[in-house]
Amino acid sequence: MFAVPMMRQLTLACAIAMVPLAPSHAQQATEVQVSYSKGQFQPSELSAPADKPVTIRVRNLDAKAMEFESKSLRVEKVVAANSEGVINVRALKPGRYEFYDDFNEKARGALTVQ
Amino acid sequence: MQSGRRRSIALGAVAGVFCWCGDAARAEDASSWRDIETKYVFGFTTGSGIGLEGEKEFTVESIGRFGKRDGHYAASETKYEFEFTPSQFIQIEFGALGSTHNIGGVTGLDDRSQVALGGAFAEIRYLAIERTSNNPLAVTLAVEPTVRRIDETSGERVRNFEFETVINADLELIRNRLFAGFNLLYEPEVTQTAIGDTQREAKFGASAALSIRIASNVVIGGEVWYLRHYDAANLSAFSGDAVMLGPTLYVQFTPKMFMTAAWNTQVWGREIGNPVALNLAEFQRNRAKLKFAYEF
Repeated sequence: MFAVPMMRQLTLACAIAMVPLAPSHAQQATEVQVSYSKGQFQPSELSAPADKPVTIRVRNLDAKAMEFESKSLRVEKVVAANSEGVINVRALKPGRYEFYDDFNEKARGALTVQ
Repeated sequence: MQSGRRRSIALGAVAGVFCWCGDAARAEDASSWRDIETKYVFGFTTGSGIGLEGEKEFTVESIGRFGKRDGHYAASETKYEFEFTPSQFIQIEFGALGSTHNIGGVTGLDDRSQVALGGAFAEIRYLAIERTSNNPLAVTLAVEPTVRRIDETSGERVRNFEFETVINADLELIRNRLFAGFNLLYEPEVTQTAIGDTQREAKFGASAALSIRIASNVVIGGEVWYLRHYDAANLSAFSGDAVMLGPTLYVQFTPKMFMTAAWNTQVWGREIGNPVALNLAEFQRNRAKLKFAYEF
């Protein structure tokens, strides 16, 4: 008698709380480009404005696949050899966001947002 | 006597872990380490991490519960879980539950030795506050509805519905190296037994954990849980509480594969209306967690 309405209320409350508050990409995104060559990002330091979505265009110039990954940006994308990958990132708060090639321990870079 | 010895061992183990952590932290330079996902580095305490957009993961997580007031008691529940991150703010998980029970001579429980398909669950996690290089705090809200056909404690056939709600928070105390985790838990459930009785109960609790990364792929630490049990879903009939304490371990084997383990021992507890040490009616003497995950 009591538990079922309570469960419904709880479910509803949690569902409302879970509504994504993330800004959409309807806002104009800032595009940044980075190349991947000889196992390194070029440039390895990128920058973008705060509070605007970011599109990262990764050009893999190497003859093998790489995986662009970042825990702080919360994105990952495998980019095949000699091809291009596009990664859409939410509007970011000011800070430094590191990224790397998940297949290559030494390839690292960072996006500075300010 | 034996209980006191166990408590001393648990406290000694946790103290030893933290001393070792301190020495290890001073000995290594972590500046070259990659960022780490915090979700699984705190043992039973869950961190705020929700994975990377597009990431998928298959995990097997077993939680074992051992020890009651008398007889022998060993039960486990294993989650066979698929999780994925469809956006940079949401993570979704679902899967099946397997359970085992090996019970003999425990007052109030039937003797039993069984392995069964226990039920199913789903979880949704929403990252409410994200960590940045300027903000060390991250907070995730999670809900996990679960349905069971096997009672977690007794192993009896039942119809059980549970709705776990948790706040997972963590703080990066030293960049990429030292983390503190906090959980706040509310877990109401309703159970219909085989003879038609309906029981409502709830668990409410909080935890604090401290974990240190001692190598680029290894995190160790300790956690403490305070748990309260109620014989009503709305927290109106308090029936007992317990404090559990123990060490935690996280090991990243490859960039796509990791394991996490934890052991908690009940160091304090009380049962309302029963003046005995520890609360072994509603909680277990020890619990262990072992999880393996593969990302793809």
